[in-house]
Amino acid sequence: MNYAIALKRGISSEIYKYRGTLTLWLLILAPAFVPIINFFIFLFQGDKIIQPDTNPWKILIENSIDPANFLFPFFVFILALFVNNIEYNSNTWKLIYTQSLSRTTIYLAKMKVYIMMLLFSLLLFAGFTQLVGATLSFIKPAFGFNKTYDHGFLYLVSIKMFLSSLGYASIHFWISQHSKSIIAPLGIGIAGIISFMILVQGWEYIEYHPYGYQIMSLTGYRSEDFNLWAHMKAVYLSLGLAFFNFFLAGWEQSRKRIV
Amino acid sequence: MNQLTIETHDLDFHFKDFQALRQINLSVPQGSIFGFLGPNGAGKTTTIRILLDLFHPTTGRVNIFGKDLLRNRIEILKKVGALIENPSIYKHLTGRQNLEVVRRMIDVPKARIDEVLKIVRLVDNADKKAKNYSLGMCQRLGLAAALLTDPELLILDEPTNGLDPSGIIEMRELIIKLNKEHGKTIFISSHILPEIEKLATDLAIIDQGEIRYQGQLDGLRAHKKQVLNIRLDHVTKASDILSSKGYQVYEQTNDSISLQRQSKSEIAAINRILVESGLGVYEIRSSDEDLESIFLNLTKKLDQ
Repeated sequence: MNYAIALKRGISSEIYKYRGTLTLWLLILAPAFVPIINFFIFLFQGDKIIQPDTNPWKILIENSIDPANFLFPFFVFILALFVNNIEYNSNTWKLIYTQSLSRTTIYLAKMKVYIMMLLFSLLLFAGFTQLVGATLSFIKPAFGFNKTYDHGFLYLVSIKMFLSSLGYASIHFWISQHSKSIIAPLGIGIAGIISFMILVQGWEYIEYHPYGYQIMSLTGYRSEDFNLWAHMKAVYLSLGLAFFNFFLAGWEQSRKRIV
Repeated sequence: MNQLTIETHDLDFHFKDFQALRQINLSVPQGSIFGFLGPNGAGKTTTIRILLDLFHPTTGRVNIFGKDLLRNRIEILKKVGALIENPSIYKHLTGRQNLEVVRRMIDVPKARIDEVLKIVRLVDNADKKAKNYSLGMCQRLGLAAALLTDPELLILDEPTNGLDPSGIIEMRELIIKLNKEHGKTIFISSHILPEIEKLATDLAIIDQGEIRYQGQLDGLRAHKKQVLNIRLDHVTKASDILSSKGYQVYEQTNDSISLQRQSKSEIAAINRILVESGLGVYEIRSSDEDLESIFLNLTKKLDQ
């Protein structure tokens, strides 16, 4: 019980420190980026994009998930940098680690806030996408956004995307906690994505590539008979890797010299 | 005998192959202002980081408030406030918001923020962004954060570093006030002897990772030697001649040499030796060695 209270205190402090920072704006603006662009594309080109007898929601969601699937890893890399660099830039590792909380609590508070930020931004992305459709149904009723659609699908896909991104998210959290370098984590992340794009064309063990879990978990999501519970191996591998990495980073943090 | 707030036992610390601390045994009495003095790179900050469990010693142990630090870390840190080297401040937040970040971690009443702002005299600037603070204000804000839990022990690492003279005086007054009026034990490190001399009741001198002196400030004064200072024209020659006659010259400058004080007849004999050797003696003066010289002799490389 005491531990839960201590963790709550750590999380509360962790969230508070992002007031007025770029991180907070990134959490709101990044999920809005694709939906805003889609809004204007549909507003001005909707009649060309939306085929007769198709549900416009399906097209909007596909046009949202495709770019999000590509852009989300970069958001993950940058967020991992921001949540750790706030301490490096302010020289505050030693401030937080001399407070009367255990090292594990302080580490878990930061880790949990990072994970919650990722989930929050994806759910916000789903919300913004839904808002775009709802606004278009009001402004351009002819597009047919008043047709029924399973809106839960977008949220479930977002949650699956979140779970399958935790593997590489944990790698970046660990790297960014380990060193204040900005270049190294971004370089590793970009190399990870490019190597996946090359290897996916024929490498037999590609399913184990951590930077590919997210894309592989959503394979075939456009198809009518897409099953959300298919391709779960990528999700399980991602969660396994995340558990291992977050544990390792926490163990390291509990022993390391705080400068 | 006074109770001890901090006790360290045979602390050793290595940075890879480099031994930064060697058998550090500190005894900090409760209610004291304990000066931890030493040149840059002597091991002060490393010791302080061990006292705050930021570094783990290679061997040895730390007791604070009579309890083992590693086993009672959280309980001990609740009663310890720390300010380590350069300020740890979120520059994008205001002074008050910085304190709120810490307050949320340690769970003290919100009203405590106003109390500590008052103590460090930052009330008027509390709602300014910390990026607009002077270094002195940043140090005071750091001190305010350290005071939030109303700690029994304050550990301050070079709190006057980089401050202008008025900032130094202000910080010094604040430290004395915290000790005298609020009853806090204060462990303060510095490489500036006069600073410690004005503040401390007790001190330890560290150099090259080893404690060279530990005790009360008055005890250090007891180390004072009486000095015979001779100004003359050829110091090297004079030094050689006196050494060959069995006198120990322990300091030599461009125009003077220093020996341990001698009796009147010995002074006359030394003068005679020098004059008969053809050296021009300008002045012979007996004086007490000052604290700075004692410190220099103990550390050999004062870095001010």
